[in-house]
Amino acid sequence: MAYSDKVVDHYNNPRNVGTLDKSAAEVGTGLVGAPECGDVMRLQIRVNPETNVIEEAKFKTFGCGSAIASSSLATEWIKGRTVDDALSIKNTDIVKELSLPPVKIHCSVLAEDAIRAAIGDWKKKNNVAEIAPPAK
Amino acid sequence: MLKVLENTVPVACWSCSVAHNESTLFCPDCSKIQPPSSGDFFSVFGLEHRLNIDLAALEQEFHRLSRRLHPDRFARASENEKDWSLADTALLNDAYRTLKDPLRRTEYLLKLEGAEMGVSAAAPSDAALVQNQEKIQNQQKTSRVPADLLGEVFDLNMQLEEMRMARKMGQEDPELKESLRQAKEKFVGLVGAVDRELRAQWTIWDGGDAAARQPAQQAMMALLDRRKYLSNLVRDVTEILGD
Repeated sequence: MAYSDKVVDHYNNPRNVGTLDKSAAEVGTGLVGAPECGDVMRLQIRVNPETNVIEEAKFKTFGCGSAIASSSLATEWIKGRTVDDALSIKNTDIVKELSLPPVKIHCSVLAEDAIRAAIGDWKKKNNVAEIAPPAK
Repeated sequence: MLKVLENTVPVACWSCSVAHNESTLFCPDCSKIQPPSSGDFFSVFGLEHRLNIDLAALEQEFHRLSRRLHPDRFARASENEKDWSLADTALLNDAYRTLKDPLRRTEYLLKLEGAEMGVSAAAPSDAALVQNQEKIQNQQKTSRVPADLLGEVFDLNMQLEEMRMARKMGQEDPELKESLRQAKEKFVGLVGAVDRELRAQWTIWDGGDAAARQPAQQAMMALLDRRKYLSNLVRDVTEILGD
């Protein structure tokens, strides 16, 4: 199975790999895993407390090219968005952008889950009420 | 008198017309070889669906049937019977390989009982992509790695990466190696714990009615997922430690 050019690009030049200070109040950390392939993904966001805008996003993923590309793309997409806006990103958007084949769809699900987990963690830390994502 | 297994249907022997269980390799009445049927692996050995099985008896029966199916015994038989002896041998081998292995046996039984493992049982053919994604997504949600291990799994992966990098540079960090050894020991222990839990669920399933079996099946699927994840990690660590 061949990876799409976009997957290869993200795999070779992953954006925003790294770590943010987990203990900082403005940082939310999402750690998710998929059992069938053993992929683990950590996605972190730093949110501006005034504007609720995600100013920085970092990830570290252990997994296949599609998992790395999905999380790399996710960090690119959520940067500059408000947390609620970032929640509207769907795994299907990632699938389309990266042209993921059906067997790799779970990688995009993982990335979506990682965004939600990171935002959930940030909300918990900052006592922000859980707001349901806007229905599409 | 034929003891009808609950997991098979009786079919008539092609030679003597006496009914026997589907998948029985030889007619219990006239001893003639039977064509391979679509019955399940358990019934090949005359077994009903049970997870606790007598492995010694299974092996004995496997050898006994293998001998009876040997092509030499069909040298003067009809062409049909010759063909069946080969096909039955293949079926017997598959059945034995699957049933003797505790994990494969569990997976196989869960599949027979209609529990979906990993990939969707319904082939994602030309249905709308989005629908498939939702389906797959729903399955993912039922098969998550338990949150209690994610942190440790992530840390372990970090250490593995560090180790690989150091290796590449031709360096060896004994402290890192030691901490990986400890991690491996811990994860091997966790695999053992999963196996013990799995066996406990076997007994619940074997002895239970439909109502008791349902939660046991769910529990077994979760345990198999967890085990798969853990043994992948153990494999990775073992590989890099080279021991």
